[in-house]
Amino acid sequence: MPESGIISVHGVTKEFNSATDRSVTALTDIDLTIAEGEFVSLLGPSGCGKSTLLRILADLTPPTAGTVQVNGKTPAAARRDRDYGMVFQQAGLFEWRSVRRNVELPLQVAGVAKEERRNKASAMLDLVRLEDFASHFPWQLSGGMQQRVAIARALSADPKILFMDEPLGALDEMNREHLQAELLRIWSDTRTTVVFVTHSISEAVFLSSRIVVMSARPGRIAANIDVDLPYPRTAATRTTPEFFEKVTQVRTVLHGMLAAGETS
Amino acid sequence: MTVRADAGRPPSAQAGRAAAVIRRGAPVVVAAAVILGGWELVVRLFDVPSFILPPPSEIASALSAQFGTILSASRVTVQAVLLGLVLGAVGGVLVALVVSRFHKVSAPILGVAVIVNCAPIVALAPIFNNWFGVTNVLSKAGVAAVMVFFPVLVNTARGLLQVSPLHLEIMESLAANPRQVSLMLRLPGALPFLFNALKLGSTLAVIGVIVTEYFGGPSNALGVYIAYQAALPRFAEAWAGIFIASLLGLAMFGLMTLLERLFMPWHASLHGDEK
Ligand SMILES: Nc1ncnc2c1ncn2[C@@H]1O[C@H](COP(=O)(O)OP(=O)(O)OP(=O)(O)O)[C@@H](O)[C@H]1O
Ligand SMILES: [Mg+2]
Repeated sequence: MPESGIISVHGVTKEFNSATDRSVTALTDIDLTIAEGEFVSLLGPSGCGKSTLLRILADLTPPTAGTVQVNGKTPAAARRDRDYGMVFQQAGLFEWRSVRRNVELPLQVAGVAKEERRNKASAMLDLVRLEDFASHFPWQLSGGMQQRVAIARALSADPKILFMDEPLGALDEMNREHLQAELLRIWSDTRTTVVFVTHSISEAVFLSSRIVVMSARPGRIAANIDVDLPYPRTAATRTTPEFFEKVTQVRTVLHGMLAAGETS
Repeated sequence: MTVRADAGRPPSAQAGRAAAVIRRGAPVVVAAAVILGGWELVVRLFDVPSFILPPPSEIASALSAQFGTILSASRVTVQAVLLGLVLGAVGGVLVALVVSRFHKVSAPILGVAVIVNCAPIVALAPIFNNWFGVTNVLSKAGVAAVMVFFPVLVNTARGLLQVSPLHLEIMESLAANPRQVSLMLRLPGALPFLFNALKLGSTLAVIGVIVTEYFGGPSNALGVYIAYQAALPRFAEAWAGIFIASLLGLAMFGLMTLLERLFMPWHASLHGDEK
C-alpha cells in the first residue's frame, strides 16, 4: 500500500508541453517512498528533474501520470492543509516586510491570531539564531541570513514536511557548510521530514539519511544510497574516512551513470 | 591614495552633514541668484514692458502687498487639489485592483487608459464648470481627479501585475486565497508604482485646478485671482500668484514624497539614508 511512508510516489511521469513539438519528458516512471523523519536528498545532474519532482510533491505542478501521496493525501490536499513548508533557491523574502513579519507570513495566511503569530515567529527566529534581527528589513541582511529567514518562514507553521530546492545553492562555501550544520540541528530539533534537492555530493552526504540519485534524459531514479554516518554530524564528520568513503561511493554511482548515459 | 582620501574627509559626521547640505544647496542658491539677477537686469536694461515680463523686485513687492489675499485664495485651491488628488487616487487604485484581477480585460482597458492619459484632460475644464457649476469645488476637483486617475490607474495596475513569480509561488505553496495574494503581495508590491504616479499626479492636480479656475470659480481661488489680475492688467500681482501656484505644486510633490517615505520605510535603501 502507498501508506507505507509519509510521502509515496508511484509511476510518476512528467511531460512538459505535451502534444506539441517542444514536448520535454522531465520524469519517467518515478517510484519513491519516504518514511517519516527521514532526511532525503535528491541528487543528480542539472536538468534531471529534481525540481520538477519536488514541485509535483508540493502541488506546484501536476504529474502527467502516476499517483502521489503526501502525508496520506493528495498533494493538493496536503498543500491546502499546510502539511509542508517550502524553501526555494532564492530566499524570496517580501522586501516590504520586516524579518519577523516575513516569518509570520504562513501563519497570517493560515489566519493565526496576532499574539500567537508573534510568539511563534520569535521562537522560529531563535531557532535560526536571528532573534536580534527581527525588526530588520531583508535588504539589511546578508544572503545567508536571508536564507535562514526563509527557513524560519517555512517552519513557522509547524509543517510535518520540509521541501527544499537547493536552498544553499546561492551561498559561498563557508556560509554553506555553516548552514548545513544549522539545518541538521533544526532537523533534529523539529523532527520534520526533509526532502532536499542539491547537486553537491558532499552536501548530500553530510546532510542526508538517504540519497536518491537521479539520472537525466529521461529523468529517473538511478539509485537509493543509505548514508549510515551517525547523527549528530559536525564539522569533524567531514574529515572522517567514512565520510570520504560515502562521497566516493556516491560519486562512483553518479559517474557510472553519466558514462552509461554517454554510451547509450 | 587612501591616505589622501581620508585626509580630505571632514573630521566629524556633523560637519560632514553640514558640508553636504552646503554642497547640495549652494548650486541652487547660486543658480537662483544668477537667474533672478539676470532677469532683473535684462528687464531694466531693455525697458521690457511689464505686460511682457515684470522684474522680480516688482513681483516680490506685489507678493508682499497681496500676501494675505493670495494666501486665502490658495486655501480654496488647495482644498480642490487635495480633494481631486484623493478622488483620483482612490478611483485609480480601485479600478486598477479590479482590472488586475481579470486578466482578459486588463490589457484592453489599460491600453485605452494609456491613450486617454495622453489626451489633454485639462481641456475638460469648461465642461466640468458647466456640469458642476463654476463655484462648486467639484468642478475643480473633478478635473484634477480625472488628471490624477489615469496615471494612478496605469501605474498601479502595472505594479499589481508585475509580481515576482517566486513570490507568487510562495503564496501558492502557502495555499493563500486570491484576496490574500492581493493584500499581502500585489498591493504592497505596487506601492512604489503608486507613489511614482502620485508624485506625478500631485503636480497634475495643481495644474488641473488652477486652469479650471481660469475659466471661472469662487472669487477667492488662486486661478481666478491670477486670471483676474492679468485681465486688470496687474501683471506683477498675476506673477506673484503664479509664483505661489508653483510653490503649491512643489509642496504637493513634497507631501507625496513624505508619504512615500512614511508608507515604505523599507525603501530606505533606495533613499540612501542607511543608518
Ligand atoms: N515549466 C517548464 N516547461 C518546460 N520544460 C520544463 C519546465 N520546467 C522544467 N522543464 C524541463 O524539465 C527538465 C527537468 O527540469 P528541472 O528543473 O526539474 O531540473 P533540475 O534537476 O531541477 O535541474 P537543476 O539542477 O538545473 O535545477 C529540464 O529538461 C527542463 O528543461
Ligand atoms: Mg532545479
